[in-house]
Amino acid sequence: MVIALIVIVCVVAGLVFFAGGTLGLLRFPDFYSRLHPAGKLDTMGALLVILGLAIHQLFPVTLGSALTGLKLILIVVFVFLASPTATHAIVDAGFRAGLEPWKKGDPWR
Amino acid sequence: MKTLGLIIVVLVGAVLVYATVDFPPFGDPASPASLHVSPRYIEKTVEETAVPNAVTSVLADYRGFDTMFETTVIFSAGVACFLLLRVSRRRPPASRQYRHRLTGLTFRVKDGREISLPLRDFEPLDSIWTPHDFIIEKVCRYLIPFIQLFGLYVIAHGHESPGGGFQGGVILGASIILLSVSHNLRTALQRMGEKASALFSPFGVLIYAGTGALCLVLGYNFLDYQALAALLPGGPIMARSHGIFLVEVGVGMAVMGTMVWIFKNLASLGRYDEGL
Repeated sequence: MVIALIVIVCVVAGLVFFAGGTLGLLRFPDFYSRLHPAGKLDTMGALLVILGLAIHQLFPVTLGSALTGLKLILIVVFVFLASPTATHAIVDAGFRAGLEPWKKGDPWR
Repeated sequence: MKTLGLIIVVLVGAVLVYATVDFPPFGDPASPASLHVSPRYIEKTVEETAVPNAVTSVLADYRGFDTMFETTVIFSAGVACFLLLRVSRRRPPASRQYRHRLTGLTFRVKDGREISLPLRDFEPLDSIWTPHDFIIEKVCRYLIPFIQLFGLYVIAHGHESPGGGFQGGVILGASIILLSVSHNLRTALQRMGEKASALFSPFGVLIYAGTGALCLVLGYNFLDYQALAALLPGGPIMARSHGIFLVEVGVGMAVMGTMVWIFKNLASLGRYDEGL
């Protein structure tokens, strides 16, 4: 019962982060500011959702369920490494290509 | 001419659409496919091949011929790209740039002039050169071994879970492509040269067909892995499972080699000197 509650809180919080990331992706004015929610909130959302799933299938604790939990946690580790790097690479490419950042008062692109 | 082509396309399309009317409804339990073949696969897979994942056993055992020729198709795609793109004549580049590793000084060698520099001290630069990004380079350097390990896991674990030769081969190939994208083509070529990638794909097909031929030699039908029980421990049922694994390794090698081969040909326009 308590475990189910923790799992629900984790997954719902993760979905809130995903929703915020999607909203930011749609509403922010330019390339760089759109990448900000896409990079950060998706990473956090993935962490919370996968953590919830790992807790959910960990009980009752057996060798198999612990192994599956470990694999799920490994996914989080690699998302944490790869997602910010990918965002960094995209921003870097945009900056090198000469895209000017949006400033207050500019028209929305 | 264009109108004629359009008419032909529309006619053939109309015939194809008309033919779909004869299809059984989607998911119909009374359709021929659901009545004869599928229940047998679902019921007998574990009994006959000791593979819990029915998709893998159907792909590599029951329909082994189909998969063998799929692998051959992948190999011929690689050969086609090679024949179309590869520039065999070696011509000196118009001008090229080198950088001294220690001091960072960059200089240009004018067109056609051949000089030999010790590559330990001098680094050749691409004509469209972007500075190396420290973060991307380091993260990719540390991630690529784990990606390759995961690719091998996917190939070996196809018996139990979704995966197999095609998926694992794509992951392995993508890791080499990631190395090329995050560093440059020259680094990727040092790790896996043109010959290696070009030999991997026919060798994978050879492993697949060779497993089939081995069964033939041992007195069974082509690709009937029961025959391998004479060579491997565990009896005829486990031999089918092991045979599927051998074949998956061949598929993985062919897919990996072909992906990297096609990428190199495309990225360097067939010249293999510089690229992404």
